[in-house]
Amino acid sequence: MISELFSVTVLIGILASGIRLATPYLYAAIGETFGQKSGVLNLGVEGQMLLGSFVAFYVALTTGNLWLGLLAAMLVGAIMGLAMAYVTVNLHAQQGISGIGFYLFGLGMSELLFQRFMGTVETVKGFPKLYFPGLSDIPGIGEIFFNQNILVYGAYLLVPLAWFVLNKTTLGLKIRAVGENPDAADSLGVSVARIRYFTIILGGTLSGIAGASLSIALLNVFQQGMTSGLGFIAVALVYFGAWRPVGVLGGALLFSLVNSLQLWIQVLGIPIPSDIAVMMPYVLTILVLVATVSRVRAPSALTKPFERGD
Amino acid sequence: MMKNSRLANIGFQLAALVLALLFTTLILVATGAPPLEAYKNIILGSVSSLDKISNVLVTWVPLLLASAGLLITFSAGLWNIGMEGQITLGAIGTTWALRLMQDSSLPPALVIVLSILAGMVMGALWASLAGALKTFGGVNEIFGGLGLNFVATALTLWLIFGPWKRPGVGSMSGTEPFPEALWLPMFPDSRLSPWALVLAVVAIVIVYFMLQGTYFGLRLKAVGKNFRAAYMLGIPTWQYMMISFMLCGALAGAAGAVQVTAVYHRLIPSISSGYGYLGLLVAMLVNYQAAWAAPVALFFAALNIGSIQLPIILKLDSSLSGVLQGMLVLFVLMVEGVRQRLMRRS
Repeated sequence: MISELFSVTVLIGILASGIRLATPYLYAAIGETFGQKSGVLNLGVEGQMLLGSFVAFYVALTTGNLWLGLLAAMLVGAIMGLAMAYVTVNLHAQQGISGIGFYLFGLGMSELLFQRFMGTVETVKGFPKLYFPGLSDIPGIGEIFFNQNILVYGAYLLVPLAWFVLNKTTLGLKIRAVGENPDAADSLGVSVARIRYFTIILGGTLSGIAGASLSIALLNVFQQGMTSGLGFIAVALVYFGAWRPVGVLGGALLFSLVNSLQLWIQVLGIPIPSDIAVMMPYVLTILVLVATVSRVRAPSALTKPFERGD
Repeated sequence: MMKNSRLANIGFQLAALVLALLFTTLILVATGAPPLEAYKNIILGSVSSLDKISNVLVTWVPLLLASAGLLITFSAGLWNIGMEGQITLGAIGTTWALRLMQDSSLPPALVIVLSILAGMVMGALWASLAGALKTFGGVNEIFGGLGLNFVATALTLWLIFGPWKRPGVGSMSGTEPFPEALWLPMFPDSRLSPWALVLAVVAIVIVYFMLQGTYFGLRLKAVGKNFRAAYMLGIPTWQYMMISFMLCGALAGAAGAVQVTAVYHRLIPSISSGYGYLGLLVAMLVNYQAAWAAPVALFFAALNIGSIQLPIILKLDSSLSGVLQGMLVLFVLMVEGVRQRLMRRS
């Protein structure tokens, strides 16, 4: 049975679904990277994702327009980001606990809306797989890389884009300065508050897309609590990736490939207890966290509210 | 002066509560649900009969134990998000000990006590993992804790469907229930055990005195307030952090043990039932003052039980308490922020 795992068809299946499963992690974790680079830890990603996931699904279901659903999710994520920015930047609230607050709110609110407006689990026809003439038909490669939906490609495009913005633009320089030394940035005329507002709202918007990618592109269904900890994992991936978009990509891929592997193990009925398999990605993440985190340094001002000195 | 500010503190927390209720009401109105009827149902659902009150207390016990533990880690400046996993491991430890001893000739009372202790030890050990990751691995306790929560959940599922499965086939309903002799004695016709109540109350009282009146508590708070300064003063900082993790884990383990010996009488998949996160909320709302933990935890227990009773016609289900909890956290934070601003200005 184990040998079945190494057949070409299964390997292609594992890689294809691994690439696909990384999508929500990528959106959420890249968004979180921007926030943390500017010194704000947003633990509310899970809540933003859940609400985004519901809104995207509901709008897509009622209007029949997937893009409107995506837009609605982005809007909801941005609004939650705005609220988070006000609480943490203006009111100097502890970032960890305000994140938990937004998590609880998003969890409860998405459930409440689901109960009030839907009540039963329904499905939508999500974003279709794109077809690239020629490329999609290449055996193996085509299945893995050229047979995904548009949100999957968007997630991977986001990685070089985020790298470019953070490392090659003035905006990126300002974001990093605000996260490393807000006093110095402030004295040079960079508005710490404005930069942090920008990164937190951007993070919320991307979390909204992450949620939408689950409900209208990957699973095409909304269920209560459907993100099941994915938003928290995304936060951990930022540490894992040492605050670099490429590192985040590596983490997201590793995590989703292991996840995809364990799904296939279950599908094939290989006699490894399935819950040991379920644990694999998490145990792996912890091990790699231990191995990597101690040698990289977090942004100095992470979790610290900024207050202008006299 | 002191009295005034304490009074003002309570005023601010109350203002946050009122604002959270107002906002939740707005959400209810906006989604077309009758708010008054919903609140009435929550209140009646939590206090209208002896049975319901005892259910509230059943929820209060693990929540208070969790909050008591978290007050210790908070004092040391630590975010023990791994609480859920520690409760779960406590439940696993207790179930394990009960399984080992249920066919022995030991007196049942001794078996129960030993099993609860086993749960506390397991909780403490699981917490020490998060502590070790933090102090030796440099992994922020928030991330280590989150990861360990997932592992704990998966471990529970594996035990229920694997080695500890019911005769025949494993199911989501949990392991085979223990014989009644191994249950914590209950009040008649309820799931409430006086012993569990005593355990929770003793725990919060001990934590209160430990934090308020002992040298240990004072030094622990020094570690939490200013890690560097505490280190310079010669306080063994990392040992204090580890101890606070383990004490918190032991109380989390006790909460898990109570769930097994007094409430479910077996191991079920979601044995921690979110008490860890709710405990974080309580500890934060009481502003880390142990004396307030008991009433605030009682409020949340009532909210939880009451919202389960919301009638199906209202189409609200227990999600309403989630919204209200989230709102409460946010408004307490906002009100605190506003208060700090006012203080700076005056």
